[in-house]
Amino acid sequence: MTEPAAEGRVETVGRLGDGADPDVWEVFREEKEGDPMRHAGNLRAPDAELAMHYAREFYSRRQESVRLWVVRRSDVHDLSDPDLLQPPLDRTFKKPGGYVMRDKLEQARRRAGEVDDR
Amino acid sequence: MTEVTTARSALRTRPGRAGDLDPVDSTTLDGRTRDALAELLLTMADDEFVVGFWDSEWTGIAPALEQDVAFSSLAQDEIGHARVFYELLSRLAGGDADTIAFGRQPQGYRHARLLDHPRTDWAFSVARRYLYDTADAVRLEALAGGSFMPLANLVAKIRREETYHLAHLDAWVGRLAGGGEQPRSRLEGALERLWTDALTVFTPLTGDAESVLVEAGILGEPLALLAERWLKLTRGRFDALGLHVPIELGVPRADGRSGHGADFEWLWNEFTSVYRLEPGATW
Repeated sequence: MTEPAAEGRVETVGRLGDGADPDVWEVFREEKEGDPMRHAGNLRAPDAELAMHYAREFYSRRQESVRLWVVRRSDVHDLSDPDLLQPPLDRTFKKPGGYVMRDKLEQARRRAGEVDDR
Repeated sequence: MTEVTTARSALRTRPGRAGDLDPVDSTTLDGRTRDALAELLLTMADDEFVVGFWDSEWTGIAPALEQDVAFSSLAQDEIGHARVFYELLSRLAGGDADTIAFGRQPQGYRHARLLDHPRTDWAFSVARRYLYDTADAVRLEALAGGSFMPLANLVAKIRREETYHLAHLDAWVGRLAGGGEQPRSRLEGALERLWTDALTVFTPLTGDAESVLVEAGILGEPLALLAERWLKLTRGRFDALGLHVPIELGVPRADGRSGHGADFEWLWNEFTSVYRLEPGATW
């Protein structure tokens, strides 16, 4: 369908199935009460209402969820800047593996009188 | 359909099947009430069954992948409702649910004529399903809180699911109504074609079956009154959306659940094709 955009409805209403690109929505699900919300997947929908309906059918039509969160992907604050997340400097000193702990630990235990002299 | 109305052991239970049903003790009902309830159940089961099969015709070709999955799932839900209605019917009046569902000739089905139309286009299927779901919601409301507990409890469960079906369809009616010239005119055209048949969901039961059910406290109001309530609801919604639907309502016709045409016969051929290979076979 090639309905003219001049009607001014295309942007506000969104379309399905006529070549327009509906929004992408990310869906998170809680499998059972108390579980963390985990990313389930995503879907396309023209508005929040249909996104909720589709999420229900995609991620709980067999009753596999007790809660869903449906988030428009463009509403997610994306942080992927490598300068922030993967700076090109050695950061091993921030990891436990960057230290040799064995001798220091032994000395600490000895001070605390925890070491038997087997 | 003698196998449907023949009273038989109604306490039979089938572990692992139709677990949504309470135990059924049909001896709490007198013969007239039981027959009337059996008729009502058959009409409701056939409605759900047939709309489920029509809408499953969209599997693979709905307007978008998401809608395809969703509409197919909704269709499955309706067939699930039909299954428990047939099961309840079989426990009440004897017979076997599968045989009732698949073993009749096309003219033996008691679904509303609204459900005799083929899938047609998307707007048509949305319009039809919307008309059916709103009518069904009014009917279910009149059965909720009824005196026959196996049915009242079942209806309570089904209503929770139908609320979402209706919200889904209502969203689509709103989208098509506000989605530009072509979606809107297609929706209006479909509603115009379907409107007179929508009332067939409220086709009167035979004889005094309705008053028997109302007196027994199973059905809240006669179907003709439910039809009026349904009309107010849908008219209000269409007015709010500015849809032009030629609403002229009379009393539901007596023949609204018979005389199914060639389109239904085609569908019947489809949905019984496996059953007819070997009736009675265990799958």
